[in-house]
Amino acid sequence: MAGVVVKARFRRRRIVRVVAANLFRYLFQGAARNWFRNMGSTAPALGSMSLLLLMSGLIGLSGFALYNLEQVEAAQASLLHVYVREGVASADVNALWDRLASDPRVASVNYTTKAQALTRAQHIPGLPQLADASESNPFPASLDVQVKNIDDIASIDSMVRNNVAVDPSYPTSYDRGAYQRIQAVLFGVAVAGFAFLSLLGFVAVTVTVNSIRAAIHSRRDEVTIMQLVGAPRWMVRGPFVVEGAITGGLAGAAAGLVTFGLAVAGIAAGAGTFTRFAPGVTVTVAVLAALIVFATGLGLGSGSSLVSIRRHLES
Amino acid sequence: MRSIVEFIGVTRAYGSRLALDDVHLALEPGELTFLVGPSGAGKTTLLKLINREIRPTHGEVWVDGIAAHTLKASRVAELRRRVGVVFQDFKLLPRLTAMENVALALQVGDLRVSDDEASERALDALDAVGLGDRGRAFPHQLSGGQQQRVAVARAVVAQPPLLIADEPTGNLDIDTSWEMMDLFGDIAAFGTAVLIATHNVEIVRCLQRRVLTLVQGRLVRDQPAGQTGRLAWLASS
Repeated sequence: MAGVVVKARFRRRRIVRVVAANLFRYLFQGAARNWFRNMGSTAPALGSMSLLLLMSGLIGLSGFALYNLEQVEAAQASLLHVYVREGVASADVNALWDRLASDPRVASVNYTTKAQALTRAQHIPGLPQLADASESNPFPASLDVQVKNIDDIASIDSMVRNNVAVDPSYPTSYDRGAYQRIQAVLFGVAVAGFAFLSLLGFVAVTVTVNSIRAAIHSRRDEVTIMQLVGAPRWMVRGPFVVEGAITGGLAGAAAGLVTFGLAVAGIAAGAGTFTRFAPGVTVTVAVLAALIVFATGLGLGSGSSLVSIRRHLES
Repeated sequence: MRSIVEFIGVTRAYGSRLALDDVHLALEPGELTFLVGPSGAGKTTLLKLINREIRPTHGEVWVDGIAAHTLKASRVAELRRRVGVVFQDFKLLPRLTAMENVALALQVGDLRVSDDEASERALDALDAVGLGDRGRAFPHQLSGGQQQRVAVARAVVAQPPLLIADEPTGNLDIDTSWEMMDLFGDIAAFGTAVLIATHNVEIVRCLQRRVLTLVQGRLVRDQPAGQTGRLAWLASS
């Protein structure tokens, strides 16, 4: 009788399972165990990374808000309010509107009635009291001219201020200087933020690298033994990189949560005020900032570990 | 028959000092060889060259067909899986049991080895060195001799063609040292080339195996098995 060849069933699947289990054990399980064992020596790195990431998150959010604020201010600074004379014929107003709308330097022209001007003023600090003090509506109707280039605003202003439809006592208003002042302040804040973040980053990376280097040094025998029994390089380095990722991930999660919490608390508490001082910072933006902080923590932790273990193995 | 280890004109310098100077040698499968010489003669350097912990300054080092002298760092692990290593200080991982220490050598070399298979083979290896009943013991629960046996089991569990030992009896009493030598003899009898660097003249004289004598980095004598007379390094020191 001919022999029967019995093939092992699912051999490949079994090998894949065994390899995955071994990979998990040597890379992740071992790293987690070592991380808990060395928690004391990792604490300084965890603290400094958390602080760095929290500062990064808050500075990032502030930068985002300042960028949006600059955009808002730029749009407002290039907005020329042309105040309409009381009792002027609508044909004169329409003629001025058409003249401005056809000007290639002008992006758009909108008409604001007296009632709309009053409503707008009631949202600006200080002006509601002024509105309440007067029995009639003190705010004039206006043509709001959005100028494409802020440098053209002065010439458009001089073109319209003597027009028959324009209020001769208070013809126009715009504040180009405010925009330039904001730009100067923003530049200063950006430079200071970058310098502060760089310093904090340097300190955090140095502390992290040194604490991980200390952990590697305390386990140098283990590293040597792993190398001598023929462990491939990734198996020697991998657990340290995972340990660094755990440290960075925890720091990132903590900092991300605090960043998210502070942003949401600001949004909830400040409402209108917060929106004016930090435009664009919404709950979605806060979630994104928290995720970016977490990912940065993971990258910083694993990257620092990789640098440390590579230096150790090369020395 | 291809040699397991071959040194061709190997020189290794540390700065201006020559640790090994123009060494030629070959080790064959199943051969137990002693490497002797005074301190600083270059014994450890020679072992490190075999295990590719260092590279030669000149010459060629071949280990089981692998050119260790040109081997890239990324491929060193491949060579080390073909070389079992035993140290004077055992170098066992203190947090692992004897069985786990032995199984580690199997699984880091081949991730396809399952836990069951690794445990089974580790226990077989421990059994072969007389420690079949101490698999669950941690290194600190074992005597020096027992720890060295675990180290030997770890070195041979993957059945490498070569075993190198650097002063393996340095921390052991004389009776345990003789037991270790019997163990190395058994391993060689199964076809593994065994190279032992030692200061233990008594053992070298009695066993009458091949002896390589290094003095000041030079291989001054290569005495075949059974012809070990007065040891050259003793005469020169």
